[in-house]
Amino acid sequence: MRLLSLLLLILVLAAPWQTAHAQDIDAQATRAQDIEPRDGTIIESVDLSGLSRDSLSPGLRRELDALTGEPLSRSRLNEIAARTEEEHPDVVAAVRYVMRPDGQVRVIVLVARISDDGSLVENINTRYVVESVEIQGVPETDVSRSLRDRLQALVGQRLDHDEADELARLLEAERPGYSVERRISRGSERGRIRVVFEFSEKEGTRWIPFAPSRSKFVYHSEQGWSGALDIPMGGRNHRVTAGFSFSNNDDLIEEYSGVRVAFESRKLATDRLGARIEIARFNNTWREPTLFALAADPTIPEPYRTRLTVEPSVTFAPTPYVRVTGGVSLSELESLMQPPASQNANAVVTRIDYDQRWYQASDVTQRVEASYELRTSAEALESDLSYRRHLGSLRYRYSQRHNTVFANVAFGGITGDAPLFERFTLGDSATLRGWNKFDIAPAGGDRVFNSSLEYRYRFVGAFLDGGSVWNHNGEMRFRMSSGFGLQGDNGFLTLAFPLNADDLNITFTMGVRF
Amino acid sequence: MTLPLPLRAQTLTVRAVSDALHVRASGLGFIAGPVLERLQDGRSVRVDFDLVVLEKPNGATITRTQQSFNLSFDLWEQRFAVTRIGPMPRSISHLTSRAAEDWCLDNVTVPLASLGRTARDTPFWVRVEYRIPDRSTTAGPDDSTFTLQTLIDVLSRRRDDENRGKSVEAGPFRLSN
Repeated sequence: MRLLSLLLLILVLAAPWQTAHAQDIDAQATRAQDIEPRDGTIIESVDLSGLSRDSLSPGLRRELDALTGEPLSRSRLNEIAARTEEEHPDVVAAVRYVMRPDGQVRVIVLVARISDDGSLVENINTRYVVESVEIQGVPETDVSRSLRDRLQALVGQRLDHDEADELARLLEAERPGYSVERRISRGSERGRIRVVFEFSEKEGTRWIPFAPSRSKFVYHSEQGWSGALDIPMGGRNHRVTAGFSFSNNDDLIEEYSGVRVAFESRKLATDRLGARIEIARFNNTWREPTLFALAADPTIPEPYRTRLTVEPSVTFAPTPYVRVTGGVSLSELESLMQPPASQNANAVVTRIDYDQRWYQASDVTQRVEASYELRTSAEALESDLSYRRHLGSLRYRYSQRHNTVFANVAFGGITGDAPLFERFTLGDSATLRGWNKFDIAPAGGDRVFNSSLEYRYRFVGAFLDGGSVWNHNGEMRFRMSSGFGLQGDNGFLTLAFPLNADDLNITFTMGVRF
Repeated sequence: MTLPLPLRAQTLTVRAVSDALHVRASGLGFIAGPVLERLQDGRSVRVDFDLVVLEKPNGATITRTQQSFNLSFDLWEQRFAVTRIGPMPRSISHLTSRAAEDWCLDNVTVPLASLGRTARDTPFWVRVEYRIPDRSTTAGPDDSTFTLQTLIDVLSRRRDDENRGKSVEAGPFRLSN
């Protein structure tokens, strides 16, 4: 038996140990940890592996030699390992123990060159054993069970730098609204470290986002060019946006050009409270079909030459996903027919938004956005037009790698005499594509229903739109359209055609939104 | 071959050891501020050095060398470890911050042969530049949409030059026997 042990020792201490790497230290550590000798156990022998004894200073060599036959003292051995590193700063040294059958202990000082180990090269702390792994910044339950298990598997091992980086990447993939930083700190005893994966919110997960950009330049083969340019300036919490519109007929029944300035703050003492004020002045022009339709229906308020609007509002976010906005919209509309006579269209605006994202796997993202807005004219605001406008919308987005599916639905209704800019339209570059709004409802409608289903693979997409815009005392006709083309978040080039029209009229649209 | 150097000029000193030109720079101090905080958080930091030998201040380049290092801070030893990255990696640990900075710079050398006759016959200038690449995470897929705001943000991002990089140029030096 003693002969067998001797042979084993010779094998252990044979040539390969002279080039021992830190992985060998790790493997040895794992084996040695099975039996932990107590301080005071008699040392049978002390071996130095990975480094020639001759390269040690005489004092350190003597100290090593003197340990044989002495009671084990971990602190003394750790000190020797530290002194070895000080004498040879290009190596790391660790002390390992092998229990002998006779109750004595064999001590091995394992030495490995830092530059031979990729993990040590990356971070010297990978020499230490992980004592604990923590998640900070999000509740631990927000991380999938499988990933938590992988994190906990780091405990008890030397820190695997590549594995830890991979885990940080996977954590970010599970919560794409966050960035993940890995921090290491000392553990409760020497040679142990704590690993912390710290989540911090990215810009997109702010409680109150800035108003989305309206910048776009689009071409519609039936309606011509429309343009809008927003130039935001400011910091993370406050900003000013200068906006310009150029013959924009893509949003409303009117065509408008002019400027607007918006001041926004999304942190008023707290991230949950924001405020905004927008002042806009537009010159309006009207298409002939609109003017004919207005002339034919005197119940619709008259068109205007200019529109001056002031809209202050306050937003409160009770949760990161829900925002409630309250404010007023004050508009002065200078008559097109009888200038400088004007009308005021002043309303109280109440709005609730819901916006949440789910990250089910590393490459799957789902997002649901819902909103409901109520605009009610108020006598107290001296509005000349009395009306109430409801608009609700629901938008769903599913993304998996290069595949994206969108599903949208919106519905709205107006009671009373709403100004023309409040009336609903469909049939532009974004809604009921393939139809022309000046053919469907040239003066807009007071009822609307709109839906859309779209699929994209990379930048190629196809869509199916359906909806109707009508007046409450008129006929509701459901229209459908379909199309395909290049579709991206910032640009599009599509061919669209109505599905239930009397004739096939292909509409070409292209543009950028940014 | 050891030449009668160093020659001192402002914050830079050069010396020829064996067949290479070595540089010492006082006050480079890149292990400080956010870099030091990052290291003390147990993270690693990469530093890219560029050593350029010039004919005159801001003049034509005679020769240059680039070298990268990886730094980390041993949490238990409270000392810095540095590895010279490249085909022949070299590592060292148990260094103070100043020693770690000096070790990096001492491992950025240019072969004397590459200086040619110019450096021996005429004065030359040396520029040492270091850069700490930004390892911050890139935007996720939800932030990929381009807006004018993102462009403005990128263009107006404050450059943390003090912590991200520094350049020191000095001269004239001359290699004379």
